[in-house]
Amino acid sequence: MVGSFIFVPILLLMIVNVLSFSHKSKLHNILFGFGLLTALAQIALVLWPNKNFWQLTANYQFNVIKFNLAADNLTLVMLLAIGLVGLIALIVARGLINDVDQEYNFTNLWFIALTGMNGLVLATDIFSLYVFIEITAVASFILIALTKERDALEGAFKYVIFSSFATVLMLAAIALLVFFAGDTSFAAIANAIKANPGNSLILMGLILYLLSVFIKSGLIPFHGWLPDAYSAAPAITSIFIAGIVTKVVGIYPLIRFVQLTGTLADPLRNILLLVGGTSIVIAALSALGQTNFKRLLAYSSISQMGYIVLGLAAGSALGLAGAILHIFNHAVFKSLLFINAAAVEKQTGTLDIDKMGGLAEKMPYTGATSAIASLSTAGIPPLSGFWSKLLIIIALWNAQLYFYATVAVLASLLTLGYMLTLQRKVFFGQLENAFYETKEAGWQLVLPSLLLAGIILGLGLGFPWLINTWLIPIGKIL
Amino acid sequence: MSFWFFCVCVIMLAVIGVYCLLYTYSLMRALIGIEILIKAVTLLIIAVGYFSQHLALAQSLVITLIVMEVVIMVVAAGIVLGLHHYQKDLDIRKLRELKG
Repeated sequence: MVGSFIFVPILLLMIVNVLSFSHKSKLHNILFGFGLLTALAQIALVLWPNKNFWQLTANYQFNVIKFNLAADNLTLVMLLAIGLVGLIALIVARGLINDVDQEYNFTNLWFIALTGMNGLVLATDIFSLYVFIEITAVASFILIALTKERDALEGAFKYVIFSSFATVLMLAAIALLVFFAGDTSFAAIANAIKANPGNSLILMGLILYLLSVFIKSGLIPFHGWLPDAYSAAPAITSIFIAGIVTKVVGIYPLIRFVQLTGTLADPLRNILLLVGGTSIVIAALSALGQTNFKRLLAYSSISQMGYIVLGLAAGSALGLAGAILHIFNHAVFKSLLFINAAAVEKQTGTLDIDKMGGLAEKMPYTGATSAIASLSTAGIPPLSGFWSKLLIIIALWNAQLYFYATVAVLASLLTLGYMLTLQRKVFFGQLENAFYETKEAGWQLVLPSLLLAGIILGLGLGFPWLINTWLIPIGKIL
Repeated sequence: MSFWFFCVCVIMLAVIGVYCLLYTYSLMRALIGIEILIKAVTLLIIAVGYFSQHLALAQSLVITLIVMEVVIMVVAAGIVLGLHHYQKDLDIRKLRELKG
């Protein structure tokens, strides 16, 4: 039954496209309705788990390929985040894209990306993981180049090159690991790693795998493509890709990696710590100097992913729980901030934060929700971002990684610095003359913003309840 | 032929691919570089399957891999075509609009 997360979206997509029975605008409304239903069903299935649905693990066997699917607690959280950001992106697309053709294309690609991401988090073997990463990646290449503008194509091309190179590294890692495991399943690989401690070929395979997911998630120093792709992509694509796609494609395989290797061997752990720490600091410093709204958010994304990597490197259940909560939080506040950026761009026609000012007066909902999201990013209590950062920092401290714990705390101040600069330049201060006529963006943008801001507040306030019922059980998968 | 002979071939192909990626100024040749790299890794998978007695598994992996590779290359070529439409040539040095 878990397989329906993969087959339902792709079947709906095929039904609508193969039986294209009516005019495109009508067809698009049908597809949009199907999309809403799929996303809502996905959220409902996770929030109100039905034992019969989740316990039957799907087991598909064809002649050529066989792939098994299974869900654990981590998968549930990822499915929830995918469903939530997917739903939001679908609604916002209604308000942002005016061209029926383009909106239809977006919804189609949305379905493919959803299929890929659902499959990715349900996969139990490393080769299925690769296949679903590629499905998601192909959909996101086209999503970035959706408008066929020059900058969008440039961003997409850089993403293609980096992503393909990462794919090559991942395939090499798969080959080396399969050589010892004899099978592609995570369990067999974990056994092979345990059975051959200190084997240099296995270590090489693991390092290649790590490099590959670092490139895919755009961590420093492998971030060349990420700011370009995020800032050049159309507004709706930025929301979807920054909110969920890079997290699922890059960070989720990293979590599975940590799970595979169990308690991390020293060289691997040092690599994770180094890359995570560097990403946090360098990306936060780069964000300070940005004048493009979306580019600033892109660097902020890299910095936040650094926190997730540090949480994983702590190697304890607490660190893992913190990292996973931060993935969910990041999906919520980053998509909210990108929606705000889209609203500002739509109403004022620019993304240059030096030209803006005082917009909160004219766009009260956008201003208020972006303030909540910014503070959550910086980790101000009682917003949800505070709790996940706190868990990560405590986990680092408990693992006696005092230096990295200090870096994580101090970099929070940098985050606060660039986020407040952004707020002050865009939403506060003197209203610029050019923006006297500016109005609030339509309900398609305001409603999702309010929903996401509500989730940030609710998660933050409900955290004491959340930690024992959801988070600590997730950390136990280690 | 030993496993290491295949490894040397794979590494040679990989070096050619990386060289192609680093030293070309053409968008299309960059894609060819990626293709060569994927060929290297395909050879590695086959060699691994053969020498670890899991050839059937390796074959099914390689077939899936070839399908995925074609899909990616088609999309990538489409993007290159789109860029060619704007800048009328394939010079990679013109991809400098986005920076900061």
